[in-house]
Amino acid sequence: MSFTDTVTLDIVKDSLLAIGDEIFYGFAQTAMSPIIYETLDYACGIADADGELLTQGNGACGFIGLIAPMISEIIVKFSKDDMRPGDVFLINDPYLGGGTHLSDIGMVMPVFYGDEIIAFVGNKAHWADVGGMSPGSFTTDSAEVFQEGLRFSGVRLMKAGEINTDVVGIIAANVRFPEAANGDMWGQIASLRTGYNRINELCGKYGKDLLLMSMKRLMDQGEAAARARLKEMTKGVYEAEQFMDDDGRGNLVNIKVKLTITEDEFIADFSGSSPQVMSPVNTGYSSLCAGVKVAYMSIVNPGLAVNDGVFRLMKVVADEHSVLMCDAPAPTSCYYESMLYALDTVWRALAPAFPEYLGAGHMLSVCAVILSGAHHKSGQPFLIVEPTGGGWGASRGKDGETGQFCVGDGETYNVPVEMAETRYGIRVEEYSLNTDGKGAGEFRGGSGAVRSYRALTDGQMFSASFGRNKFPAWGADGGNDGSYNYFEFHRADGSVEGPMGVTAHTILNKGDVARMVTCTGGGYGSPMKRDPKRVARDVKDGYITMVQAEEDYGVIVDPETFEVTETRRQ
Amino acid sequence: MRIATDIGGTFTDLVALDEQGDVCVVKGDTTPPDFERGVVLALEESGINPSEVSDFIHGATTIINALTERKGAKTGLITTKGFRDVLEIARCNRPDLFNLVFAKPRPFIPRSLRFEVEERIAYDGGIITPLNRADIEKAVAALKKEGVEAVAICYINSYANDAHERETAAYIRELWSDVFVTSSVEVTREWREYERTSTIALNAYVGPVASRYINNLEKKLEDAGVKAGKYFMQSNGGATSFNWAKTAPISMVESGPVAGVFGAAVLGQILGEKQIIALDVGGTTAKCSLIDGGEVKITTNYRIERDDRNAGYPIMVPVVDIVEIGNGGGSVAWIDEAGSLRVGPRSAGALPGPVAYGRGGVEPTTTDACLVAGRLSAENFDSAVDMDAVKEALSSRVGEALGVDAERAATSVIRVAESNMYNALKLISVRRGYDPRDFTLVAFGGGGPMHASALADELGIDRVIIPVAAAVFSAWGMLMTDMRHDYIQTTINMLDETSAEEWDEMWGVLLDEAKSEFTAHGVRDAALAYSYYADMRYAGQEHTVKVQTPAPSWDDAVKAEILERFHVAHEHNYTYRLEGARVELVNLHLVVRGHMDKPELSKLAPGKIETAEVVKERRRVYFTGSGWLDAEVYDRAALPAGTRIKGPAIIEEKAASALVGEGRTLTVDDYGNLIIEKDSGLRADSGVRDSAAAEKDSEGRNEK
Repeated sequence: MSFTDTVTLDIVKDSLLAIGDEIFYGFAQTAMSPIIYETLDYACGIADADGELLTQGNGACGFIGLIAPMISEIIVKFSKDDMRPGDVFLINDPYLGGGTHLSDIGMVMPVFYGDEIIAFVGNKAHWADVGGMSPGSFTTDSAEVFQEGLRFSGVRLMKAGEINTDVVGIIAANVRFPEAANGDMWGQIASLRTGYNRINELCGKYGKDLLLMSMKRLMDQGEAAARARLKEMTKGVYEAEQFMDDDGRGNLVNIKVKLTITEDEFIADFSGSSPQVMSPVNTGYSSLCAGVKVAYMSIVNPGLAVNDGVFRLMKVVADEHSVLMCDAPAPTSCYYESMLYALDTVWRALAPAFPEYLGAGHMLSVCAVILSGAHHKSGQPFLIVEPTGGGWGASRGKDGETGQFCVGDGETYNVPVEMAETRYGIRVEEYSLNTDGKGAGEFRGGSGAVRSYRALTDGQMFSASFGRNKFPAWGADGGNDGSYNYFEFHRADGSVEGPMGVTAHTILNKGDVARMVTCTGGGYGSPMKRDPKRVARDVKDGYITMVQAEEDYGVIVDPETFEVTETRRQ
Repeated sequence: MRIATDIGGTFTDLVALDEQGDVCVVKGDTTPPDFERGVVLALEESGINPSEVSDFIHGATTIINALTERKGAKTGLITTKGFRDVLEIARCNRPDLFNLVFAKPRPFIPRSLRFEVEERIAYDGGIITPLNRADIEKAVAALKKEGVEAVAICYINSYANDAHERETAAYIRELWSDVFVTSSVEVTREWREYERTSTIALNAYVGPVASRYINNLEKKLEDAGVKAGKYFMQSNGGATSFNWAKTAPISMVESGPVAGVFGAAVLGQILGEKQIIALDVGGTTAKCSLIDGGEVKITTNYRIERDDRNAGYPIMVPVVDIVEIGNGGGSVAWIDEAGSLRVGPRSAGALPGPVAYGRGGVEPTTTDACLVAGRLSAENFDSAVDMDAVKEALSSRVGEALGVDAERAATSVIRVAESNMYNALKLISVRRGYDPRDFTLVAFGGGGPMHASALADELGIDRVIIPVAAAVFSAWGMLMTDMRHDYIQTTINMLDETSAEEWDEMWGVLLDEAKSEFTAHGVRDAALAYSYYADMRYAGQEHTVKVQTPAPSWDDAVKAEILERFHVAHEHNYTYRLEGARVELVNLHLVVRGHMDKPELSKLAPGKIETAEVVKERRRVYFTGSGWLDAEVYDRAALPAGTRIKGPAIIEEKAASALVGEGRTLTVDDYGNLIIEKDSGLRADSGVRDSAAAEKDSEGRNEK
């Protein structure tokens, strides 16, 4: 290839990446479901004609790479020969390519240039409701997938630009917020069309051949970068095993991984993890891979552009019918709990070998809250589906971050208190840090958060899944463990229920308070090595108490001046 | 005589407009740490008699510098009980998705200086818990002990009822007269507690610094004999008096950059252009903004230190909507891990600067590439240029990896830099529903004139304007400004549920407040002009669309008009409208302008010259899309009004160089602006042009 072409190819490549950004941000602007526009719980991507990912915009980190397997699934089921310009396909099957839980609706569109498919665009977004046994579809007590809503295992939603009104009718009749569903559906279609048009414009400007060559260059560069990094990485076999809470019936669920890093391979083998369970914490294979991809990216190069070239060297192995590779009819509504535990186990296995990229354990769970009821002023129904922020682990040279969403989220925003109080029938009593002072270390684990909702009407329904409620965020390199995620109910009559980690359909009446508390992250390095001045500063800032300063850190702090008066260390 | 001074990182620019409409320009040095000294020096150099100055308008990087260098005051925060950590939790987001050892932005106020006060306002403004003054006393005692210089106040839902915040501010001022006190409602009344808290925390943080700076500057100016009214440029594209500026210095963070965009809008007014894309290419960044119907676009969704890895800090004040990318003259060219050529965002800055400056820079920059590509002349640099060093840098750090010589490395750097700018320009136009072909490109800053012609070709823009004083255009924009303040009030209401009386009352409150503030700062009522906007959305959506409304009195006819404007704007921005869906009003936005008298710009005397006689030189120049061409080079000062020059050509002036591409013709207009237009036969219907093919041809030719 001549020199001129490589610079031109890079310019075309940048334009392709810009299209990825455009369809990503464009969608958030018009979405109707708060979980999409506020928490950006969606992803948009572009794949080549074979379904290999070229670029993907992620709001949620855990959606990484899920667009391409979804597209591949559609290619297999419908065959490219039978596709026409303007076709759109619908898919949300948890057990098929790109599957997560039913709430995430995927759409795929082939991009034609002339009469040839040159690419695919796809997106996937968390709808406010897709039917099923619970408002918001998001269930914490389902035993089968059939209770979790509508399941599309690949359906042609549009044929040559004409919408299939039968499918639209089925959706409208089966979801609780049909207007929002309709709005989000058209938002997703509009975003696919924008991608289609922009790729065509790019073809028109530079020619098809140049575009196809720069697609190839993009992926080859991704692979080359990953390969180069793998070569210089510490080779070896890394293992870890831990329990992820329980299956909802008191039985502990085991997650186990063996990682093998060689010159040109990164293999994550989860063989021996628990079989699938009858609570909605199972994950399908695609989501498991997404979890591993996050850990892989973090040590390969967190700044690398995401495409399938980067992942060519990565392999994921799991047992069939296991909690990490479940099949029908295992429920998956809270699939992220096992997916994130799998990611956390990989993280834990690699942390000692890659301290510059991985620190101690964090809050891990999305800590999803689902609250429905009536607004106290308008009487209108409201629905909250939101993640809760928590503490992150410390790492070499740095304290943990406070009040952040878990690793599976990302460019995800909390709902402002002032908006929540306007829209929902609640008052927020507290939004602050959980300064339990856990996670002591040379570098301290970041504090979790406390968020309290007081119900302003009777009969509100509260469901939540706060994983990491039995095993704390782990410390690393001699640092102490952090704490647990939990929530509790403070009833209007003064009684308290909890703490607990999972609940379904708990009723809150007027004046009752649901208090959500997320954990403090693990510490890094021995607390006895922490600079006493920083310990005193922590006391002054209220992250730890005087007693913790003395007991965990061996530092006596003056309660008036917050100066170090004595250091008692061996 | 009106004077504007703009302090930038390297230069302090002065532009003056006398009563005859003549413009005078001085480019002086910036003089840290006593920035005001540079202003007085520039004034002296201009030779202007200080007593003849009628208005003095000023923009400076003082505020943004205090923020980015963390050189503000020790600051305390007072907030509602239960919400001490809102500032630290922020929005929980993590743009750097795969970096698991990321660091979120550290709050400007540490936890030990954040105090809670018992009080509570409901979302509808009702008082749930009255204000506990004893808590305020306790907080003040603790903050005094800590020696803070500034106190910020932000309570939950204060946007709906400001009583507690105002009472708290008044009480603290009573208890403690020599501390800078600022409450959120004095600066913004939009909802979102984190954004409002961050805004007021930063306002407090820079408050004492800003007051000191403005007081010093005022004194220096008075000593120098300037008795005129003194104004500070704000991020909203308007000015405010020095005294008023001291209360909300956070409104001046972007004073310099927005002034250029505002200037482009004013220039458009003078020349009859209402659809403008403004492009400002400076040393480290390129900034662009779209002007629709003669109006600059305003946003309050603004953050400092935000990029694709960092969440940054929100400042919820009206700011001209600018997209900024790390691509300026000093941006460094480099080869990434994958072997691709990149330009920026890192900049060589003023020191060491591009290799061509000879100040020790070894990394090739866009400026170096433009020099090798013939776009800049070595003679226009302040000191002698070591061309061998420039070429060597391009060869060794770019060329070798690509397998090419210095010249080709240079043209590649230019293509990548312009491609970055092109994507930014598409971001503000195509992506927001505007067709760039309907716009005129106004390009300024040191680098704007050099890239404008090629970018216009790519975007299908026929007309490019390089204004007079292109290199000091921000100061020129300040010169043309009026006073301006924005009053934004969040008020969530269904459009169809709210009566005309309720609307009138809401607007009335805003209007009364605006009038009394302007009066308190000595601006006559007669000089005020009002514009009314509403931020609206379809019920259920989050993002709003701003719509201008005809009047602050909303009867059914006005409501129908507003509704239709909203549908149209939504469709324009997002490609569809939802007829029949309920529409919600989120913010009322009142813009008040205080008119300032300005002389009319004078016109150049028309002259007749033989262009051939004033050709400075002919040299080989690289034009993007055409390749290497022989171009005629002219000195801008030698071109009288009415001069026409066919491209390819270069017009040089101090600190800037304008390219006139092949197929374009330059006309010098009556004011001395350079108008570069597509030749009529070549006007493209499509913005999409096969430049790659043209490029290939040209490279092929050169190989022979």
